[in-house]
Amino acid sequence: MSGERRGHALVGIAVVASLVLVGVYLAAGGASYAPAKTADPCKHRPWGNPEGLEQIAQQFTLSALNGAACQLGVSREELAQALASDEAREKFADRYDISEEEIAKAVRAGLLRAVNDAEKAGALSPLVAGPIRDTIRSVPLDEVFQLLESARSLLNSAEGFLGPAQDFLEEFLP
Amino acid sequence: MSEAEGFAVSEPRRPGMTALAVAVGLVLADASVVVLALPQIYRDLDTSVAGVTWVLVSFNIVMACAAVPAAHLARRAGPGRAAAIGLAVFAGACLACGASSELSTLIAARCIQALGGATAVTAVLELLPATVGSERRAVSIWAIAGATGAALGPAVGGLLTELVSWQSIFLLQVPVAILAGIPILAVARHEAATGVIESELRKTGRPHVLANIALAMISAAIAAALFLLVLLLIEGWRLTPIGAAIVVSVMPLAALLGSRLEPAVPSSRARAAAGAILVAGGLGGLALLPKAEVVLTIPPQILVGIGLALVLSALTETALLGRAPQAIHGGWTISARHAGVAIGLLILTPVFTSDIATQREDAIDAATAVVLDSKVAPVEKIALAQRIEDRLAEEKGKVPTIGPAFEPLPEDPEERAAVLQLKSDLQDQLDRGATHAFSPSFGIAALLGLLALVPIGFARKLDL
Repeated sequence: MSGERRGHALVGIAVVASLVLVGVYLAAGGASYAPAKTADPCKHRPWGNPEGLEQIAQQFTLSALNGAACQLGVSREELAQALASDEAREKFADRYDISEEEIAKAVRAGLLRAVNDAEKAGALSPLVAGPIRDTIRSVPLDEVFQLLESARSLLNSAEGFLGPAQDFLEEFLP
Repeated sequence: MSEAEGFAVSEPRRPGMTALAVAVGLVLADASVVVLALPQIYRDLDTSVAGVTWVLVSFNIVMACAAVPAAHLARRAGPGRAAAIGLAVFAGACLACGASSELSTLIAARCIQALGGATAVTAVLELLPATVGSERRAVSIWAIAGATGAALGPAVGGLLTELVSWQSIFLLQVPVAILAGIPILAVARHEAATGVIESELRKTGRPHVLANIALAMISAAIAAALFLLVLLLIEGWRLTPIGAAIVVSVMPLAALLGSRLEPAVPSSRARAAAGAILVAGGLGGLALLPKAEVVLTIPPQILVGIGLALVLSALTETALLGRAPQAIHGGWTISARHAGVAIGLLILTPVFTSDIATQREDAIDAATAVVLDSKVAPVEKIALAQRIEDRLAEEKGKVPTIGPAFEPLPEDPEERAAVLQLKSDLQDQLDRGATHAFSPSFGIAALLGLLALVPIGFARKLDL
């Protein structure tokens, strides 16, 4: 083979090898290998069939987070991180230029959406849902975060706190 | 010009080819030798990613600016004297780099190291033809020594960082520089004794602009390949420096393979074009990694390695062969290569530092979604979330190792399975974030590699 032909062959091999590599990596999902996108919190998420108090509490929390995040125009995940501590909440408020009051209002709206979702899913009877809604509406805005903190501690010590009442509650909830 | 023309001294003792090649390889390795040590320097000197990049950038900028003036100096003072002084300055600066405890002193020492290095490397190019007996062979040895040094640099630096310390990278260069300089001293003494400086300050020919532009572009792409890959392996995938050194040694091994193709294809334009395509293809592969697995970096590294051997030697030869004086044209190639490395790093550093920050946030959001949606019991979930948050706070700005946050595992088999699933899903999201953060930068580097084809293509009508 002449020197010129060998030169052409070398360039051809380089092109083919590069295209094959890029093609194989693209086909294997290289273009989409990135962190999962966060879901739209305003989009309704079905509850499924929660079993037991623990799963209902879990679904309720997620619905509440989605509702509050939707109201604030942020993702559910960002809000969850913001609600983890006072410091995180302050950073979040600074970043989005949102007041504490607006966050508290959004959390309250989220809790109300969670009650509605629970009711729609049949996880909460209308008999109980009404008074819970009234209670949520009556909580002063400056106490919403304290309420969340209490809920967290309650959940942390749920087993000890509920004790024998857990069975009773599970029977009471549909 | 006759083959050995341009050599300065009439009857001196010639320094051995090995000493000269080692001097070139040693200096040019310094453009990349600290790449694997950067994460350690970043931690030890408590600086920022952008700040630590200047340990590399400063060396390359000074090399780029000093190479041509240093070559003129080498011709006027005599290549033997210039090489010996250059190596002595380089060795002294290495000592200062190793003793640095602050980023500013390290960067200043790196600048002096580059000044000495530029003088030594360009002067050696004037000495080589007389030693090896042919200008073509001298150029080839000079180019291969430089490419080998640059390609081996990261692996050697990684090994030393992990086995000893990042300071040892610089300190160990001192005896090597002295050993390489001793045989050159004989030429320097001869020059001083006879006063003969036969590099007669001939009229300097025009540098090969297109070959040098292509060299700059391809060097920017290659520097990015090394620098970004090392950061991805150590900071993104949490490999140790020694582990990363083993992984990135695929590139010099492939380069060795690529250099064997050189005699089979005499056309330097074809080798340059094929090399640039392979470098771009390999970088394209790194931009599209489909999973955070080390083995997937090997095929792209093979392409980049073979490509760099082909393109660097072809372009260097083109820029040097038949052009006198060699030191000046060698200076231009050194200048182009190091300017390319510096420009590549300066373009890509802000891109990837911003992408790392964005991807870190996206990964944390995705990881939060995984925790929220997992089947782990709420009580366990809250405790886990707190421990994961602590890990994030401990390793601020970096991709955290989340494993310890999951210890101890729950005893209940069902709960344990759910926690392990959560751990694996979380790690997957963090890996995705870390890997994806580098994709745009690898993509830009691939583009730079492809852009090098433009001057190579235009050179067809000229004299490449």
